[in-house]
Amino acid sequence: MKRIEIDPITRLEGHGKITIFLNDDGNVENAYLQIPELRGFEKFVEGLPVEEIPRVVPRICGV
Amino acid sequence: MSFEPKIVGFLCNWCSYTGADLAGTARIKYAPNIRTVRVMCSGRIEPVFVIKALYEGADGVLIAGCHPGDCHYQEGNYKALRRYKLLKAILPEYGVEPERIRLEWVAASEGDRFAKIVNEFTEQVRKLGPLEIKKSLYESMKDDAVRHEEPIGKNGENLDEA
Amino acid sequence: MKLKLGIYWGAACGGCDVAILDTHEKILDIADKVDIFLWPCAMDFKYDDVKKMKDGYLDAALYSGAIRNSENEEIALLLRRKSKIMIAVGSCAHIGGIPGLANCYTRDEVLKRVYIESESTINEEGIIPEEAWSNDDESLELPRFYNTVKTLDQVVDVDYYLPGCPPVPMQIFSALSLIWNNKLPEKGSIIGAGEKALCDECPRKKDEKRISELKRIHEVIPDSEKCFLEQGIICLGPVTRSGCGARCINSGVACRGCYGPVEDVIDQGTKMISALASVIEAKEETEIERIMDSIPDPLRTFYRFSIPASILRRKKV
Repeated sequence: MKRIEIDPITRLEGHGKITIFLNDDGNVENAYLQIPELRGFEKFVEGLPVEEIPRVVPRICGV
Repeated sequence: MSFEPKIVGFLCNWCSYTGADLAGTARIKYAPNIRTVRVMCSGRIEPVFVIKALYEGADGVLIAGCHPGDCHYQEGNYKALRRYKLLKAILPEYGVEPERIRLEWVAASEGDRFAKIVNEFTEQVRKLGPLEIKKSLYESMKDDAVRHEEPIGKNGENLDEA
Repeated sequence: MKLKLGIYWGAACGGCDVAILDTHEKILDIADKVDIFLWPCAMDFKYDDVKKMKDGYLDAALYSGAIRNSENEEIALLLRRKSKIMIAVGSCAHIGGIPGLANCYTRDEVLKRVYIESESTINEEGIIPEEAWSNDDESLELPRFYNTVKTLDQVVDVDYYLPGCPPVPMQIFSALSLIWNNKLPEKGSIIGAGEKALCDECPRKKDEKRISELKRIHEVIPDSEKCFLEQGIICLGPVTRSGCGARCINSGVACRGCYGPVEDVIDQGTKMISALASVIEAKEETEIERIMDSIPDPLRTFYRFSIPASILRRKKV
């Protein structure tokens, strides 16, 4: 199978990569979108004082 | 061979260092695990000294200053006490037992008290075991490595060009 | 000759890239002096385009975001090879930033919370993403999620630092102009920021600091003219580098240290402990304990942006 990789995907906020597998006829057999990023906000905001949260979570996305 | 803790002691020149000196001249035996550092005042001790000592291999840190009211520079020992309390608050969050640091007041005449404190503290740290921060940092970062190295040719030659 | 630039984001939010765009009409001056060869936020170049370059082809690489997984580190190494100078842009690349707060937890704790425990996730099979997958014909891979967040200079040699969360856009422009005017200071310098502490830039009235109580911001109605610390509200101004124009103070909240520690200070949190202890008045032990216990989250208040750059780097496991 032929493999086409688009890495990174661009002009948006975040990381992404697209991998396309072509069969012998040259048609798309399968296409995958992967998100190779994770920072774990869900975990590390645990225990922060509540009045600090509005100053921490905007750093999820600056766009 | 049982574990011999490494203790770093920050002693203020006017009271506690003199007290430690008195223990020496009076031939009072105390645990040899402590390595002393003389500062002019316990208020000189920046919290970063304590953290750096623990990071660089100390298993425990002792801070000794003048009794409240007796500081040669009036208020330095109160500053040391406040810094000590804050350090005690952040150490557990860093995963370090707060019992590894200790603040004591030792007067210039209290050689026997100094020896008693050092012996007690050394035993306490011995029970806690080795700290070995650098070793645990290395362990926790062991798998944090890249998976694809860029091929580099001789003399840093860029192989992708070929 | 136009400067050749490569811009990349690690574990970032995009704020530093947007800060470059926030130079408004000065972006045209930038476009005049600079050719960009990688900028996933705004342009279509791929990693393969960078891999094909000669070493040292780019004049500068601007790297924002922390090193959270193996891809961040690989691209940092790649850009280090392909460019003459490497600039760490923003708090995350400089001192770890907000993603650095995850150093209080381990890799397994984070993955478990994100993919299995979080309340809005439906994942009955309990699948956690893996590094590699393959069947007979196809294979995929994901970067390795690190146990510890690292700053940029913990993985590559960094030439300059542009601090801030995000850096002030005009400071980014001045820093870029240092490059095309060939006026860069000595290697390892902090550019786009002042040398003094934030208190120097702060517009509030400063008197003698004698604090007898510490208050959380919702426990008082703060006086809008008086220094925050003097009112008992913890502000990291004394240990934070100036250069941001005191934008948080001007918005009515205390500083949290995003510009990193002042000159000659490596560990921002312990310096704040030192500073705070110097201005609290209490002398009696139980009173001191009471005041210190009133701080709700000391580690992550004193080290909001700088855990990975601190001496201990992460919670000991």
